[in-house]
Amino acid sequence: MRALDTAATGMAAMDLQVQVIAGNIANMTTTGFKSQRAEFQDLLYEHVQRIGAQASEQGNILPVGIELGSGVKTVGTPRLMTQGSLAQTGNTLDVAIQGDGWFKIQMPDGTFSYTRDGSFQQDAQGRVVTAEGNVVQPTITIPPNASGLTINQQGQVSVTLPGTTTSTILGQLNLTRFANNAGLQANGDNLFTATPASGAPTDTVPGTDGAGTLQQGYLEQSNVEAVSEVSNLIAAQRAYEMNSKVITAADEMLQTTSQLMK
Amino acid sequence: MENALLVGLSRQMALTHELDVLANNIANVDTDGYKADHTLFEQYLMPRASDQSFPGADRGVRFVEDRADWIDMSQGAIQRTGNPLDVAISGSGYFVVQTPSGQQRYTRNGAFSISGSGQLVTSDGSQVVGSSGPIIFQSTDHDISIGPSGIITVREGNSTADSQRGTLQLVTFAQPQLLQKDGGSTFTAPAGVAATPAPADTTVVQGAVEKSNVNAVLAMSRLIEITRSYTDIANLLQAQSDERRSALSQLSQTPSS
Repeated sequence: MRALDTAATGMAAMDLQVQVIAGNIANMTTTGFKSQRAEFQDLLYEHVQRIGAQASEQGNILPVGIELGSGVKTVGTPRLMTQGSLAQTGNTLDVAIQGDGWFKIQMPDGTFSYTRDGSFQQDAQGRVVTAEGNVVQPTITIPPNASGLTINQQGQVSVTLPGTTTSTILGQLNLTRFANNAGLQANGDNLFTATPASGAPTDTVPGTDGAGTLQQGYLEQSNVEAVSEVSNLIAAQRAYEMNSKVITAADEMLQTTSQLMK
Repeated sequence: MENALLVGLSRQMALTHELDVLANNIANVDTDGYKADHTLFEQYLMPRASDQSFPGADRGVRFVEDRADWIDMSQGAIQRTGNPLDVAISGSGYFVVQTPSGQQRYTRNGAFSISGSGQLVTSDGSQVVGSSGPIIFQSTDHDISIGPSGIITVREGNSTADSQRGTLQLVTFAQPQLLQKDGGSTFTAPAGVAATPAPADTTVVQGAVEKSNVNAVLAMSRLIEITRSYTDIANLLQAQSDERRSALSQLSQTPSS
């Protein structure tokens, strides 16, 4: 019975939907997290009786046909790249991006990853690093005894060195933009890597060419909306239940048939 | 006597078919832009025996025939997502998309994204067709805005003026029931079915998607109905078979004298 397989695809899709929602809810307070959503499409159809087929020799055509669908498939779980709200932390090395763009991070193996999580630290050599110790690109080294670290909206990092009253520019924090942010691959630790689907990375100065601006002392919160996640969870659970009822119904009908024979 | 068995069987086959269609609807209860299928049954009159010499009226036998499926093209609920590349159609009409092999498809699923080369594509990578060809974004575009008429404007680079990136093509069909489902939430138009521009009252809503138009309550009650009538027919066939068995056993008793 085809209905059994069809309902099974429905249950598998709803199972995945719940997994995606669980991931979103678990990351509700993760800095720079972008929520995911599962996108579904209907599976291929069997055209049992083709629409528009000729029905008589007089040229009448069938206005409707018989099409049997075979369920649902998942096409992707893209991320919703909307802006998360900014929370004030007061920490001088916390930087939030307001608008489009990613911080470029150098991984221990020399490759680059990208993140929206701007909760930076200083390592033993004074370099600006992420919470996992990976160096933020371009490398900015803060000299010891420097005070009054400021990062302006355009990404200029400046400090006041001891014995001086004017500030010294240490470097420039750039942002990287992609044609398709949703095409980036998530690798955990709030890090993403470029893929053929994301397009090539372009480094830009914050506030120019469509890139966002930087906000020192703020962190970008996760963009998960609790209300919509919970309502989606309810809908997914009910849909799962309904698909299981279809399986029960198909099973009952098969049972009825088998009982016909005595 | 055999006829009752066959009539019952025709109904059971129709019910199995209906369950298959219903299962597909329920599996797609959460698929964006999905349009529900419905079955259409009609009675099939067995041609009467031509021989009029039978005593008494010759009554026809009526079978169930699954005539067709039809697609319910009504509007699904519009859910706000906040994603600037999600577009829902309010009113009649379809987006035009082009598959990688160059064929045109029509869809109500407006969960679009931008490909690595900057083109506006559907979630499975088919190109969205605008009024004047594909819609291509520049790498410095930001603040994408899609107006009610489908016009797409962006801010490019540091500019403070809007630049136009194209207009979503919206089409409609004189006979939408002739459209065929093609999987992937898309429809194909068979030969001879021409797309015409959508009426002016069809608008698009940015930041929202159209949900499936499957009515879950109706689907579940129909599911109960299907299982119940299937059992009823089975009971009927059982009664018929019992009747036949007792007739045979009584008729086969030869008088003892």
